[in-house]
Amino acid sequence: MSDYRSIRVEKGPGGFGGPLTITPTEQRNKVMYITGGGAEPECLAKIVELTGLTPVNGFKTNCPEEELALVIIDCGGTLRCGIYPKKRIPTINVMPVGKSGPMAQFIKEDIYVSAVTSEQVSPAEGAPTPKAEPKAEEPQNTRFTADQKVSETLAKQENKSLVTKLGLAAGKVVNTFYQAARDAIQTCITTLLPFMAFVSMLIGVINGSGFGNAFAAILTPLAGNIFGLVALGVICSIPGLSALLGPGAVIAQIVGTLVGAEIGKGNVAPQLALPALFAINCQGACDFIPVGLGLAEAETETIEVGVVSVMYSRFATGWLRVLLAYAASFGLYAA
Amino acid sequence: MDFIVNLAAGFMNLFTLGGQQFLSWVTGIIPTIVMLLVLMNAVMAMAGEKTVARLAKVCTGNPVLRYAVLPFVSAFMLGNPMALSIGKFMPEFYKPCYYASATYHCHTNNGLFPHINASELFIWLGIANGITALGLDTTPLAVRYLLVGLVANFISGWATEFTTKMVEKQQGITLSREFKAAK
Repeated sequence: MSDYRSIRVEKGPGGFGGPLTITPTEQRNKVMYITGGGAEPECLAKIVELTGLTPVNGFKTNCPEEELALVIIDCGGTLRCGIYPKKRIPTINVMPVGKSGPMAQFIKEDIYVSAVTSEQVSPAEGAPTPKAEPKAEEPQNTRFTADQKVSETLAKQENKSLVTKLGLAAGKVVNTFYQAARDAIQTCITTLLPFMAFVSMLIGVINGSGFGNAFAAILTPLAGNIFGLVALGVICSIPGLSALLGPGAVIAQIVGTLVGAEIGKGNVAPQLALPALFAINCQGACDFIPVGLGLAEAETETIEVGVVSVMYSRFATGWLRVLLAYAASFGLYAA
Repeated sequence: MDFIVNLAAGFMNLFTLGGQQFLSWVTGIIPTIVMLLVLMNAVMAMAGEKTVARLAKVCTGNPVLRYAVLPFVSAFMLGNPMALSIGKFMPEFYKPCYYASATYHCHTNNGLFPHINASELFIWLGIANGITALGLDTTPLAVRYLLVGLVANFISGWATEFTTKMVEKQQGITLSREFKAAK
């Protein structure tokens, strides 16, 4: 069955990247979706109809990367949106997310497109075949050339003098740190600052409008004593719900900020900060299981078992973690 | 008329408050974190994956090494999400268990080492800000977060072995307990 057709996918309103042309082949004939805890994204049906690709639910199973023509995700901007572009697998994000998260540098227009609904999907006309990766050029003999820095030329020489070696080593260290600094600033700009801006805006509205008192009335009984915290932990880790609460840890981060605000106002004892840290994050990474196991090169059966197993174990140990933290919190910030 | 003026002033006030909050975070939190990130990114780049891979091969045999030591070191050296890739040195059966532990390690150590999971830092920072607002030092909280995390994450990882056995029975699948070299 070689009935595959190419499609063109454009970015939706507020989206980033694209347009992508997806050309399935005999070997790359599957589309994997890792969205909303296993729910089918709205654009999937049209993509399957147009291309003839076989849909695969990434939450239920997995398939070898070589067979993937396309991945559909609903990442809020932390991890998933970078992982598949990094592997150079064309990626559709149904959320309007641009270059974001720790892997932002891999999110490029030629491999990633976001805010996609079925309206952005259309049959491609005269579809070009995907370009092959440019091959690395054969290394040339060491001579200074216009397209190569002196340091690069020196690094390729075989018999290096001591001075050259020292110089290159020092250069490498400096460059490593410089790159580290670039990455650090990039992290700030792509993830830290946007989150701060978003939460600050929320906090401003909540505090300024008087909603804050209403939130406090709900949160204080939950976060203000150990029983409430255990209950919060149990609720967060209910299998299924835990996967929905996960994406980008956004919900946990907002709850954390609100609980922190209550601690700051004196409504919640500072000692309870420790169990609260565990309670708000019992669902940690439940949305990410298939991708995380994929990173560990797990086989398909392992992912099928692992998704359920990790959700169960989160549920089974969540309350215990909160109690353990409570037990360890005595004497913390004691007056 | 006064009503409209008050309404407009009230509306703008919401965003002034938000702006103040934003400013205090940017000046109070960002500089330290950037400095730490620079150092830790450099350490990760220099020592990085090879060191952890060597350690991983030693650690697979024993539960304490597998769910407490290895994920701790991986999280510290590789950060989230690359720490999860170290699971590839485990037999299939242990991969979900390692995942369960390593993902938690990417949070509980975040108080002292923000480079591990900078994009989800606010789980820690949100609560820690409350402590700062009271004029208290957050370091004792961060240290306890890490230590309790070490124990709790070990338990969570180990418990996953039992849930994995349960799910294996449910689905009628048996995962390999032996490590197979990569295909």
